Formats: sequence, structure tokens, C-alpha cells
Amino acid sequence: MIQGIFYARFFPQEGPKIVAQSPPGCITATGDTTTTRAPLIDFDVLHEYIIPRQAFCNRYVTINSPDGKYSILGYPIVIPHAKYMRNEFIFNFGLLVEADIDQVPYERVVRRLATTFSEMEKQTEYLSQSEGRPDDGVERLTGRRPIESLLEIVKEDLNNYGECMIPVDEANTINMKLFPHHPSPPVVKGWHVPVSKTKFADIVDPTWDLTLQKVINHIDGVSDVRRIAHAASVSLDLAKTALRHLLYYDTILLLDMFFFGACYAPRPGIHDFVRNVDGMVDECAGYVSHTGLRPSNYHLIRLMTSMVPGRTVLEWMWAHREAGFDVLRYIDVRRFIQFGLIKGCLYRVHKYVVSKQYLAALASGQSRPMPGGDPLQRYTDGCHHFDQIITEQNLTDGEIMKRLKTLPVPKGDLALIYR
Amino acid sequence: MSFVNSDNFLAVALIINRSRDGPAFVFHYPPHVRAVSRGDGEGRDAADLQDILLERLSQPANRDAVAGPAGSDALPRQWDHDEHIFTESGSQIVPWEHVAGFPARDLAGILTPARSYHKTLFQLSLDPLLCVSYPIHVPEDGKWTRPKKTAAKEDKADEQSASNEQPDSSSGKPVDVPKDKVDVKKDDTDEEKRSSMTMFNLVFILNPTQFEVKELVDSLYVHIVKKANKAYKYSQQHSGFIWKESKRILAAKDKAREEHKKMSVLWKEILQSSSLAASMRDIYNAVSQNKIAALHLETAAGVLTPSLQIPVPFYLADIPQDSESDQRGLWLTTANAFLSQDTLEEPGFLDRNFALLLMDDEKKIIAELQADPDPTTVSMVEFVRLSKPTMSFHQVAQSNVLTLGQVRKYAQHFIYWRRAIAIPPLHARDVYIVSPNCDQRRLAQDSQDWQRLFPVAPPLPNFLGELSQSPRPYKHFCPSKAHRPSYLHMLAWLMRRGWVTQLCTFAYVIVWPEILYEVDYEMEAEQLAALEQDRDTTAAADEESPISPTSTPASAGATSSGVPAPSSASSVGGGGDPAPTTSPDASPPRSTATEHAAERARLERIASRAHREAAERATTHARRVAPVATAHPSLNDAPHLKGLTPHLILDAKKATGKEARYLSAIARRLQDDRVRSAWQLFCRYFDGRCALERIALQEEMKRKEVWNLLTSMAEYLLTTRHW
Repeated sequence: MIQGIFYARFFPQEGPKIVAQSPPGCITATGDTTTTRAPLIDFDVLHEYIIPRQAFCNRYVTINSPDGKYSILGYPIVIPHAKYMRNEFIFNFGLLVEADIDQVPYERVVRRLATTFSEMEKQTEYLSQSEGRPDDGVERLTGRRPIESLLEIVKEDLNNYGECMIPVDEANTINMKLFPHHPSPPVVKGWHVPVSKTKFADIVDPTWDLTLQKVINHIDGVSDVRRIAHAASVSLDLAKTALRHLLYYDTILLLDMFFFGACYAPRPGIHDFVRNVDGMVDECAGYVSHTGLRPSNYHLIRLMTSMVPGRTVLEWMWAHREAGFDVLRYIDVRRFIQFGLIKGCLYRVHKYVVSKQYLAALASGQSRPMPGGDPLQRYTDGCHHFDQIITEQNLTDGEIMKRLKTLPVPKGDLALIYR
Repeated sequence: MSFVNSDNFLAVALIINRSRDGPAFVFHYPPHVRAVSRGDGEGRDAADLQDILLERLSQPANRDAVAGPAGSDALPRQWDHDEHIFTESGSQIVPWEHVAGFPARDLAGILTPARSYHKTLFQLSLDPLLCVSYPIHVPEDGKWTRPKKTAAKEDKADEQSASNEQPDSSSGKPVDVPKDKVDVKKDDTDEEKRSSMTMFNLVFILNPTQFEVKELVDSLYVHIVKKANKAYKYSQQHSGFIWKESKRILAAKDKAREEHKKMSVLWKEILQSSSLAASMRDIYNAVSQNKIAALHLETAAGVLTPSLQIPVPFYLADIPQDSESDQRGLWLTTANAFLSQDTLEEPGFLDRNFALLLMDDEKKIIAELQADPDPTTVSMVEFVRLSKPTMSFHQVAQSNVLTLGQVRKYAQHFIYWRRAIAIPPLHARDVYIVSPNCDQRRLAQDSQDWQRLFPVAPPLPNFLGELSQSPRPYKHFCPSKAHRPSYLHMLAWLMRRGWVTQLCTFAYVIVWPEILYEVDYEMEAEQLAALEQDRDTTAAADEESPISPTSTPASAGATSSGVPAPSSASSVGGGGDPAPTTSPDASPPRSTATEHAAERARLERIASRAHREAAERATTHARRVAPVATAHPSLNDAPHLKGLTPHLILDAKKATGKEARYLSAIARRLQDDRVRSAWQLFCRYFDGRCALERIALQEEMKRKEVWNLLTSMAEYLLTTRHW
């Protein structure tokens, strides 16, 4: 939230002064007696940074207030010209925001205000004309808005709508928007399984990117990226880019492929599940039960906590069936595991294959795979899990194991690591 | 996670303000600060570039003009920033008078903030630079040195805080320099008159990307900026160190200006002659490489050796989101993250639960210690020899060579200096798995190291493969008892490199329907009995005293709290205390006779209804199936237990009310006396936060015995396993 917006100027006689501010009295006390609130900051201390030395002008300058509550974002401008007293005109349009908010979106606003008004000053002496005359005289004559009310509109619109579009005079309009910042999303891999968080069907429109439109039709929470690309007749790289775009807007999340032969194990987040934080278990029950029978919270917790490294989903199911609870009858196991993964209760234990011979070659610097070597060889450095081999080589787990047996390596050279 | 590096940390600069001569830019390091332009940052997107384009288009005129008046300041293009330059107009351009693209004079002005910034964060961004500091002003009375008395006190406090910040107090103590104190004092007072340094400010000049500002400033400010300025303040208060050194540096710069000395030469001289300048270099070099800055300030009152660092985490509680992050290979554990304040305050908890794992070779660390001997070296070496990753601090202290205090202090020292970490003691009975956070990119290199260190052990990939196959106690991987010690060495090595982590077990108590029913049945019986009594007494009281407005709500409240609400009584599994659903309204503010009568009638109605309900409940209770204790409550599927689902007690340590009764009901079911008494003892570990593996350490019991006891309780425990 913008707490205050101001227009400061350097006057040759009086020094730096606030000419206009909104709300009144936020930077300096006004003569107006209706506002009795003390200014939010001490202008005497901060004017040094609002109207700084020339060396620091014409750039984005920000300063925190001594009490650490606010930051002032400004862009002091110097316009040199013989027509001005002392040959220069110095001003700054700035914002006062809370110190702990993300200031990045506001930087562009400040820059835009500075460029717009400096341009207008150069073109029509917009700023310098209003000075030295009785207050509203000019405005009434030229029919233009006083700066104070202009600032107020900017502040209100940005705070309320995140954007503003304000005609300043017949030639100039201030168009500004606060753009939220999202971190750049992780790279999408062929073995990821996108799960949508939004109903794309409701928001898609024909102006969307064509690849994106094709791709979103195939996001079903089961298919991996390779499969989606194939089904949508889109190149794998384009599909990845499109999905990354969705990831940027936090509309999908990425999981691993689900296999009954895969292994999942608890993470510390499992305790939130046991404690039913935010009704997590109830949410899970709704998500996983496929018959009318809703398994009790206790059973769901028992199922979730009994995952352990070294036990595949299949083995886990057998164990429960032996204990008298036929998992498949009550829940959709894939959705159950998926729920655990999404909520951070479980992690996937991946399977890796390592060739000692290949590792030794890597360590000694001969990192090239042997010419004519098996295509699987490059996966045997312990950095590529089976999911990757499965999607990139179009093989199943069993086929890979079979192929590995025929790799031309000494006996006992290969080791499987689960991680 | 953003780390400080030389890309986002450009320089440190010391600026002072003087009462007569005004601000002065004393020194900065490194000598040449990269003048960065924002435009080439990667964080810029197209829209930003458009804005910048707009700015540039509207500015060329200003730019020339700004440089214009100062004319001579226009810097030649090809300048190595080392030699002095003389312009045609005869003015001299001094290489050190421009820092990061700004005139040092102007920087000195803007970086000497007013007193209101005294000892708070001062964060000024001058696009593209970001200056962060913690300005220190002279006390209001204008004297840096405090009067003797308070000074002594302050000394102590400061020293204490200093030694808190750096456990290395052994070497950190100021070495007394024999000097005539009176002389110094006199000097100081003279100095004070002329001195007039009103503030100093050690500024950190940063160039963060747009999105890392907050994180970078926060970590740097808390760990480095604040502490460095505080250390300088200490030295200034005690011997006027900053002001004296600043004067020397400024004088040297003035002289060099006259002599047109090359900047590189001058900087070399200053760094050699001034320990203040050298300390700034040390700060920059260490912090920009994320190392520990060990400063060495040669003040008149002795040598000060404060140290600064941004602590690096040595463990993670959960797998990091981003698999490519720098946190790969960090030790994964909840041993630290799950500690509550209560356990931390428990005496001896940390000593029993943690052991020291050296991050380097023992011999190497001992050699390092001996290279820089001081009075504590001998006992520290002893400590390094004694402490094994299999022994808790408590056990190390029991060897009677070192006191527990020493053990703690030295352990802290080694951890602070990143030579060791604290881990739960390794044990062959514990289970270790390949860490999901291990860094496989290091596998090739580490396999070789492993082979060299443990030539007879199975190759690293095979060993990791075995560990990861299915979790088993570590001793199962060891071929014989004779191999145990060397296998524990291997384990320590794997821990150190982040390859493995302990698989711990966490437990909650399950209350089976049989127990739920039993407790509920008992409680209902008790309630009915109590109700019978209660009703008799209140009825008597009602009859005796006329209802007064003040006593009404009190007695009504008593009655209704004695009568459990029928709705909650019928829902057996619901748990929670019976709450009155028919709570009487608050007492009427002004009661009249009619209101009295109405109130009385209402109370009577309530009483009679309660009576009726109680009678009904008594009959239903009598009709209920009496609880039967079976040998295995978990298997009891009697028809009267159908509607009940097992209940989980989330924190048996804090169980109250009904849950406490469940716990004692379970205790009654345990056959063995030993198990029963252990149940009371162990209950506090059944909160899902304490690893059951630590019980043996905490209770000083044999691991085997603990596991046997836990196995006999297993029916009542819900367990889950992770690191």
C-alpha cells in the first residue's frame, strides 16, 4: 500500500520543500488545521535523500526512515536550463511505502512519474509554471488539475485497483500498473507430471497461445510431460515451455510419475497430517475415497504413516491387506499418494543405477561415454533416476533392468541406489 | 537462498563526519569498485527495458549538462583508475576520489546520516548501488570515551557481549599493552578538543539483483554490518581507534595527492600501516567469499580480534524444493528443528543428545590448533582427541579429563569456526539410510576418496546401494563385531559428506475403541454418582435461601456445570468436556419481583428437566454393555464398539482430562510391571517430535532394553519413520 505520495522541489531561496502531498500532512505538516496527525516521517532528516546532491540525481533513490517503518522511493530529477533561476530545476515525485513490503512493483511507478513529469516540464513547463502564482490561478485558467489532486488519484487508483490511467493534460496521460513479481519457475522435465490447480476450461480463451491451448487439454494429473506432448502433437520442448509458463502463474504443480512399484516415504510434514492441520485429513478423505464409504481419519493416518523407505506401494498395500484393511476397496491409491506428495507428507524415493567403471572414468576426466557404448551408459553416473531413463528411452523399469544386465561391464560393476 | 558473493557485494567504505571539517571519505576496499550499470542486469524484462529506454531518451541533455559545470570532472575513457590525470584546465583527477562511479566527496555527504539513524539500519539505494550501514554517532555529550566508572561497567558488558558473539574468547581477549595510562588519558583529552569526529559509518556497498534485496540486506545487516560497526564503536570508545586511524589514512591520502602517488601503491601502504584499513579488507574478502572474517585491530588499549560471519546452515529439516539449490548435500535432520523451547531448557538435554562430528581430519585440526598456541590449546587438543561422533557431550565430560563446561565451550568454538557440527551420537543399532538430499554429483569424486580412506570396505556405490535397499540397523552391514569401529568410522565419513541420514521413529499413542469405551463408561458412572450427590445439596440450598439476583447465576452455573449436557453425553466418541448447552442467561441488571418469580420458575423448570434427564441417563447407563478387557484391544471387534474409531493422542506429555485417563487405562492393561512403569516414563516421548532412538540416551538406559520395552507397548503406538 502506498502510504503517501509527494512532489518535492528545490527552491533556490527556501531549499527543498514539499509542494504537494497526499494524504495532506503525510510528509510535512500542512498549514491546514483539519489534519492534526503528525507527519509519518521527519522531512528535516530525509530531505537530503529526497532532493540529494546533483551527483545522485536522475536515478532511482530509496531510503528507509530512521524508525524502520517506511521507505521513501523517489527519482530526483535535475533539468538544467538557462531559463531557471540558478540555471536548474530540481524536483522529485516520490512514494512513501511500508518498509517491509515488496518494493519492486513500485519502482516502475516512480520511474514513470519521473519521466512523465520531466518530459512535461521540458515541453510545457508544466511544473515550473504553477509556481510563484496564487494557488489555483493557473489551474483555473488552463483548466488542468492541480498536482495535489492528481497525486491523490494516482495513489488511490494504485492502492485500490493496482493500476491507473489519468489524463494530465490534452497531450499526456499517466498509465501505470503494479506488476506483481513471481520468481522464475523451475525447469520442466520430461518425466514430470503436471497437476492443474485451476480449472483451465473456465479461463481459457481463443487469444491464448496455441500450444498452451493444446497442452492444457491433456493435463490430467496422470500423464507425464512426454506423454502430454505426444498426445497434444506438440514438440516436447514447446510443451515444456508452455507448462513452465503455467508454473510461473502458479496454476499447475509438478509431481513424479506414479508406479505401484515405486517407493514413497514420509517427510517431517507427515506430522501435520497426523495432527489434521487445517482439516488436511478430511480433505484427503474427500479426495481419495472412490466409493461411498469414507475411510475414517484414523485409517487414513495409519495408511499415510506406514509408508517407509524400502517398501513399494504394492508391498505397502499387501501389508495392509494382511492386517485386515483392503486399501483398494476404500481409496484410490494413486490419488492418496498424490495427496501426500502435494501436501509435503511424502517424498518419492527414486531409483538410480551406478556403474563404478563409468564413475572412475568420470573422476579421471574421461567423461565421454565410450564410443559405440550402450545408450544407457550415460545414465549410470548416479545422477539420473529411472524415471528419466523411462521417459527418455521409452522403456519400462523391467526393460531397463534387462538391458542393464547386457551392458558390457565387469560383473558386480553396477549398483542400484534408492534415494 | 542467496549467498553473499563478489557479484552482489561490491565494497566496504568507511566514512566519518567531523564537527568542523565536515564529512570525509576515509577508506574503501577493494580499491576499484566496479561501476555497475543496471541496464545489463538479468532481472530486467522487456517492459523494464522500455522504461529505461524512455528514461535515456529524455536524459542525454541532462547528463552532459550535469557533467558540464564541473567540466574538468569528465573522465577520460581509457583510464586505469590508478594514475592521476591532469585535465587541460589544470585540475587534477585523483583516482581514489571516484568510487563506484560517484565522486567520493558527494558520497561522504550522503552517507553521513543524521543522528536519528544512530545505531539503526541505514539503507540507501543509489541505483544501481545499495548502501547498507549501522551509523554510529558520538554520544550526546560529545565525548566518545565514557567517564571512568561507567566505562568500566560498559567494558564488562561489552566484553561479555563480544565474547558471546565470538566463542573464541580465548584468543579474542585484548592483549594488554603496557602503556602509561595517564599519558594516554591526557592525549585523549587533548584529542577530544580538536578531534571532533561526530560520527563514523562503515558502509557496505551492494549490488543486489532486484529480487534478492531483502534477503541479502537482512542477512548481511544482522550478522555483519551491525557487528562490524559495534566492534568499531568498542574500539573507538576505548582508545579512540577509529578517529586516530582515520586521521592517519586521510593524511596519507592528502600527501599522496600532492605527490601524485599511484593508487595501487598508496593502497598497499595504507593496508600495511593501518590495522583499521586492513580489517576492512579482511571483512570484504571474507564476507564476499562467505568465510569467517577474523579481524585484528591494533588499538592503543590492546589488540582486539573480533570475528564476523554469516552463519552457514549445516542441516536442513526437510528436502529443499528446488533440487538444483546450493543446499544439496546438507545433512537432513529434524534433530534440531523439532526441538521445542521446553526441551531446550531442560537441563542436560543437549549434552545427552548431541555429539561432535569433526568436519575435517582430526590430525589436521590438531595441527591447526597447535600452530597458534594459547593457554587453552592443550585442553582443546585433548577435547578433539576425546570426542567421538559416537559419544554425547555428556559422555565426553564423564571421562573426567574435561569439565562439561569446557566441553560445551570447545564444542561451540569448533562449530562456530565451521570445523565441526553437532549430531545425535552415531550408534550401530540405529538405522541409517541414503539421504534424499545427498549430492550425487559428488559421487565420482567421493568414491575415490572413500576408496583411499577405507581400502578394504566395499566400494561406495555398493555400500550406499546396500544402505538404501531396505532400512536396517547399521550393525547388520558390518561383517563382524571386530569390524564395528572401522564401520563406525565409515559412517561418520558418510555423515560428514551428507550421504546418509538417520532414519528415526516417531510415535503417537493410539487409544483403541475398547479403551475409549471403558473410560467413557467409567466416567459416566462417576458422573451419575456425583450428580446424585450434587442434586441433593443444591436442592437443599435452593430451599433454604431465597433467590437473590447475585446468587442466582452462581448457583445456576454450579448446577448446570454439574449436569453434563445431554447432547454431548450421547456422542461418546466426541471427546471434550461436557459443556452446558442450556446455560442460563447472565443475571438481569435490574430485577423486579416479577422477574424474580419468572427466574425462579425458569430455574425450577431447568432443575426438573435435569432431574428427568439424569434419571433417563441412569437407566440407559444401566442398560449399556459393561466393558470387558481383552488381551488385545486392537483386535476387539465386539458389537458395542462398532461405532467407535481409534483415537490418537497427539501429545501424551501434555495429555489432560479424558486423554490422561486413557493413558492410565492403557497403563493398567500392560501386563509387565517393568513395562507399566516405563509407560509412565516414556509417555512424554510419544508426541511425534521426539525420536524414540533418543530415549536410551536421555534416560541413560540400554538401547536394547528400551527397544524391548517399546515393542511391548507397540500395540498402543502409531509410529512413522523419517529423518
